[in-house]
Parts: sequence; C-alpha cells; structure tokens
Amino acid sequence: MMEALLKGTSAWKYWVILSTRTQEDMAYRANYMVGALFRFLPLLTTIYLWYAVFNSPGYAGSGRMGKMTLPDIVSYYAIMFVARGFSSMPGMTRDISLDIKDGLLNRYLIRPISYFWYQTMYRLAHKLIFWLAALITFPPVFYLIREYLKHSPTVLEWVGFFISLIIAFWTGVLFSFLIGCLAFWFLEISTFLFVIMTMEFFLSGHLIPLNLMPSAIVHYVQWLPFAYEGYWPCMILIGKVQPDQMGTVLGIGFLWVGIFFVLVKLCWKWGTQRYSAVGG
Amino acid sequence: MKDFLRYCRMTLLMMKNCLIREMQFRSNFIIRLFTEVIWLGMQFIYVEVLYSLTQSIGGWNVWEMVILLGTNHIINQLFEAFFFDNCTKLVDQIRLGDLDFVLVKPINSQFMVSLRYTDYASITNSMAGFAMIGFALHKLGTAITPVEVLLFLLLVLNGIFILYSMMFCLSILTFWIGRASNLFELYYQLTQFTRYPGEIYRFGLRMVLLTAIPMLVVSNFPAKVLVGGLLSGRLFYACAIGVSFLLITTWLWSMGLKRYRSASS
Repeated sequence: MMEALLKGTSAWKYWVILSTRTQEDMAYRANYMVGALFRFLPLLTTIYLWYAVFNSPGYAGSGRMGKMTLPDIVSYYAIMFVARGFSSMPGMTRDISLDIKDGLLNRYLIRPISYFWYQTMYRLAHKLIFWLAALITFPPVFYLIREYLKHSPTVLEWVGFFISLIIAFWTGVLFSFLIGCLAFWFLEISTFLFVIMTMEFFLSGHLIPLNLMPSAIVHYVQWLPFAYEGYWPCMILIGKVQPDQMGTVLGIGFLWVGIFFVLVKLCWKWGTQRYSAVGG
Repeated sequence: MKDFLRYCRMTLLMMKNCLIREMQFRSNFIIRLFTEVIWLGMQFIYVEVLYSLTQSIGGWNVWEMVILLGTNHIINQLFEAFFFDNCTKLVDQIRLGDLDFVLVKPINSQFMVSLRYTDYASITNSMAGFAMIGFALHKLGTAITPVEVLLFLLLVLNGIFILYSMMFCLSILTFWIGRASNLFELYYQLTQFTRYPGEIYRFGLRMVLLTAIPMLVVSNFPAKVLVGGLLSGRLFYACAIGVSFLLITTWLWSMGLKRYRSASS
C-alpha cells in the first residue's frame, strides 16, 4: 500500500532504503532476539541494588530519595529501556565519520539522495526491527516487575510521553549525525566518540536519574538536549512532570531539535565544501 | 621451564610491537585517559547518590564500596588490555579463515590468538583503580599487610582469567554457530554482576553467580581480602574455579579447531 502511495514522489527512494534495510536486519533475527533479551540483565542488577539501598538497616529516608520512591526508581530504569530504544543510535556516528574519512561519501554525493535522509532512514529501519523485537521481549520483563510499576499515567502523560519519544529519536539522530560530521575537520575522531558516548550515558540520565544528583547540577543538566534522550520520557511516564510543566518540557525539547536541524544543515554545507574525497 | 621462558619472551615481543604501534597515535592515548577520568567522576557521583541516605548497602559501607569498584575497575581494564580485543578479533579470524596464519606458526595457537594485541591505554587506566583503593583504605584507616596485598593480586589475576575464559568461550562458539555478535552483548551484560556487592542478590541468583557464572568470584572476592573477611576456604575455591575455567577453554579450543574449515570468501 505504501508503495502505491509513494511511487513517483521524492519520498519513494527513501521508502526503498527503509524497506531494504529492514529486510537486511530481518535476516539476522535470531541473533537479534538473543541480544534484545540480554540487554535487560542490567535492569536486574539495578533493581537489586536500589532495593538494597531502600532496605538497608541504617536507611534514613522514609521511603523516598529526593522525590523518588523505590517503585519510581525501578519504573524509571525500566522506561529508560524504551526511551533509549528510541534515542540511541549505535554505530551511526562511527559509520558517518568513516564514510567521510575513507572517501566513501563519494558514492552518496553523486547520487540524487540526501545523505542525511539516507542515514536517518537507515537508523529508522533499525529502530523498526528493534520495536518489533521489543513487542515480544518487553511485555514479559514489565510483567515481572509489575509490583514496582505503581503509577498509572494520565492521558496527558501518555500523549506527552509519545511526543517526548519523537523528540528522543530526533535528538539521537541529529546529534549523532552532527558529531559524525566532525570528521570533515578532524581526521581521527574514534576516541573522541568514546568521550561523547560516556557523557551521553551520564547526561541522559541513564546511569542515575538526573533529579537525584545535587540540585546545583540538576538545574542545568536537565535542560541539556541529552536529558531528552532518556530522562524526560521516563519522568513524564512515572508522573513526575506536572501538567503545567509539560508544555515547557516538550517545548524546550522541540527547540533543541530545531537548533540541531539548523546545525546539521550548516555543518553539512561547510563540511562538504572542505571534503577532499580521499580514498574511496 | 625452557618453554615457559620462550612464551614469556614471545609475550614481551608481542607487547613491544603493540607499544610501537600505539605510540604512533599518542593523542588517542591522552583522550582515553581523559575519558577514564570522566568515567571515574561519574562513578563517584553514583556512589555518592546511593549512599546519600544510608550507611551500608549489602553490608558494605561507602569506602568499602569504593574498594569494590576500584577492584572491579582494575580487573576489567587489565582484561581489556590483554584479552578483550583479541577475543573480538578471534570471531572474524575463525569466520573468514584468517586463523590459518596462526595455526601454521610453531607456537601454541590459543596462546597466540589470546595475547596477540595489547591495549596500553587500558593498562594505564587500571592505575585509577589502584588509586581509588588506596584512597578508600586511607579513609577507612585500615592497615594492609603484605600477605593481603599478595592475596589480593592473586585473586585479581584469578578474576581476569575467569573473565578471559568466559569471553574466549563465547568467541569460539563461532566454530559452531557462525555469526554470533550478540554473544558479546551477553558478556557485557554479565559483567554488570561484578560491580556490586554479592550480598544484594537473592540466594538463588547468588549461588549461580558463585558457581556457573562466577561473577562474584571475579571482583567481590579480591575486594573482600582488603575489607577483611575472606576466609581461606574461599581463596582455594576461587582459584579452583579459575583453573577449571581455564582448562575448559583449552578443551573447547581443541574441540573447536577440529571443526575449523579455513573457509574464506
């Protein structure tokens, strides 16, 4: 149906990329499912760790740490898997930087497609497969930890959550693309990527819920684009974003996406002007 | 004995070659160190948050926890320094038939594939673990005897060998099942269990982590030597686990080689 709809339009070529990439991924589906299940093991250690914190003999927090209860924290880490499923783009930055460094970009530049949209479709295909697998792997995991999932989100929270996931996806794609473009200016960025990934892991709230950190830090860190890759979707769904804050939270997210879009355009323009097509 | 010296010489030679190569990319080296500092800072904030409302988690106080994290850091970094890259490279060597170049050499093939490349940045990074432990011991005011230091180092080595055995076995499953990149994912996720005190896990899980997947033997045991409370029985047990895991790898390697088809494309 999509084919009939898109054929002849300029979106057609991107649809082809999307469907080809999806089929490629499907070829390794067993490998994929296994990986998808393993990824939940850290959730297990995290639950045990926080359970131990809240049930330790000298515990002095009356069921809360900051504004978070144990069920809040466990739900947070569980939803983090969903959010990072939208925002993490494994390998994207490296692929782009290698295309630039090794001159492989040539084959995209001479084609009538946008490299940015090609990369985006490629990642979207990955994400589609990820979500197909998630439909099977996520429900049992969430069922197992159901006693911790105390908060039942309102309609507004569900809507806000889904919007925040869209922001998460775009923040992930745009930021990864932007960093990959650094290869236009610097020859070797693979180690630098490691620094970025480490920072992202922390600043997205993946390691610790950002609001548990000292308030001087939280105040700034929560408004960085990284917070939209994990922290905000989680906070919205566990009911920690009040209805009157929802607009601000999502608005700033869209603002970042807009800024990133402009930066990607500019970087690509300046970068391709510098590009010397070595190798290839 | 002569053989042993020959293998030691070989190890040093391979390490030297890697050092020469590494020195061509000095800035990489510096950035890796920088990342490490950031990573450690993050760990400290994490511990700080965890202990903000409590004095002890699973019976470990905050500085004991830092010792555990430091120990875990040393073990993981040294494992990465010597074995990690080699194990990941091994998968492609088996799949693409490049193992031929190793098999024709007059040297133990498992030794060669396991120690071929050394990652020096990881060796330097492991120092941070020692610094963490030193600082935590100072804060605790514990005096450590030379015997305890030796036992600690022995168990650290033992932990590295256990990690190596598990990763090596996962890599050479390639002999049987072809492409299996997600098995590395399994390795990564399993090492999560080395980071925290074993006491936080339920009895059943703890038993698994002490026997079949001995992640608690890897880092909890050496750390226990320093925080006091490792019984000698456990010491023997840890070494027995380490040795038997190593023996399993050599057995599995020889089984795998029989299936090696030197297929290339």
